[in-house]
Amino acid sequence: MLAQLNSAPVYLICGGIIAFVAAVCVVFMIRAYRAGIKIGMDKTLLKRAVVSSATFSVLPSIGILLGVIALSGSLGTPWPWLRLSVVGALYYEAQVAQAAAEQVGMSSLSAAEMTASGFSTIAFLMSVCIMWGMVLSIFFNKRYLKKLGSGTKKASGGGFADTAMTAMFIGLVSTYIGSYIGNFTSSGNWIPLLVVVVSGFAMAIFIFLSEKKGYAWLESFSIAGSMIFGMASAVLVSIFIQ
Amino acid sequence: MDKYNFFEKYNNRTHTIGKITTSIALILFVTAPFMIGAYLGAMPDLKAAAKAFISVGLVWTISCVVEFFIYTPMLGTGGYIAFITGNLLNMKIPCAVNARDIVGAKTGTPENEIVSTLSIATSSLVTILVLAIGVLLLAPLQPVLQSPVLTPAFENVIPALFGAMAYKYFRKNMKVAVFPLFTMSLLFILVPSLTGSTSMMIIPSGAIAIGIAFLFYKKMNKNKKSDKKGNIAENKTESTEAIGTSTVEKTEVEK
Repeated sequence: MLAQLNSAPVYLICGGIIAFVAAVCVVFMIRAYRAGIKIGMDKTLLKRAVVSSATFSVLPSIGILLGVIALSGSLGTPWPWLRLSVVGALYYEAQVAQAAAEQVGMSSLSAAEMTASGFSTIAFLMSVCIMWGMVLSIFFNKRYLKKLGSGTKKASGGGFADTAMTAMFIGLVSTYIGSYIGNFTSSGNWIPLLVVVVSGFAMAIFIFLSEKKGYAWLESFSIAGSMIFGMASAVLVSIFIQ
Repeated sequence: MDKYNFFEKYNNRTHTIGKITTSIALILFVTAPFMIGAYLGAMPDLKAAAKAFISVGLVWTISCVVEFFIYTPMLGTGGYIAFITGNLLNMKIPCAVNARDIVGAKTGTPENEIVSTLSIATSSLVTILVLAIGVLLLAPLQPVLQSPVLTPAFENVIPALFGAMAYKYFRKNMKVAVFPLFTMSLLFILVPSLTGSTSMMIIPSGAIAIGIAFLFYKKMNKNKKSDKKGNIAENKTESTEAIGTSTVEKTEVEK
């Protein structure tokens, strides 16, 4: 079964869909860049935003690649490649695939028990459960943003909307850091907390260098660089202490 | 052409492109299992899929709806690609927020919309490329990426990301950050099982942060107003004193 799931036609179907999504990204990217120039945005800043977004995305993407490897043992490589290149996330895909596997009579999600019908049912459920963000986007994105007055003269920037967005993001980060603290007190796992501290400290150094020492170009790499330091600390602790 | 007129045209066209491409992507994603099923000689068992959907799908449906309403204002028209390519919390949102800061754009402005779309599209493209290269080089890469030495690094990608972002955003907004951070830490310490639904806890935490930010915002506006009143009163006193000197000086003070 796994050989069939890794065959050229399956690669072709999944690769074709991924190529379509990549093309959509390129179209959005070029249009946004051109529009930015047209409304008088600084080219250097736009390029810096692109470089920062690209460098920052590399490490989490390698993490996602690990998800493809993890799922490829039971679902073949092309299908997890498609799912994780697009809307999916590993924790979601694994959970839904397991639930679907149980419903088609498999004791667990494994290549040994996989059948053609089992695979297509699992794949269908993985696609359906998480499609609602896209459905809502099609019907409500424009109306919702219009209601918020986004991009209009009325929303001239600043005001409470800007503060609220930053606050929402602070709430998001606080939740995750709170969960690492809770995890530490309940299970004694202190590595995520250490990683938070180290990458935060690294970010402080990056900000100091870019804002006070005139290395403005470092700003584009500050998140990716801080993440490398944080992740490296986890490796070092695992090697030398644990 | 006026900036806002140009942006309105660009925005309308982006919505049209977004709607069309998202519809096509949605159709492709849902029909892919049938295409593969046709090749394998077995179509999806819709009864089993419906049962599984009731057991796990409903939770994800609610989560998707909540995500849409909370994150769309941050993503703007970039939301179309963000919802096609996923990974909102761990990549697209931080990416858009960071890019917005680099450019210095304010929420709701055309600049913010444009830079959000640009950063989300870039981030999505990088993920697609990394995964494509990874799949191409799967055989040599697999043992390296799955080596026990590197495992702790990839298990901690999210803490590394949020540690860096925390410093960047907390340092300027410490007053707003303290209470949600304290509340969330306390909640997760007292109810450790909540770690299983961390993403749902973002809603109350975000609400607390927004509430506190609103209080500070109101206070700041009040202070600004009273400062302004104070300045006007000061100017008036100065101008009254100046009346006795000369008319030229009076005009200068009022200016």
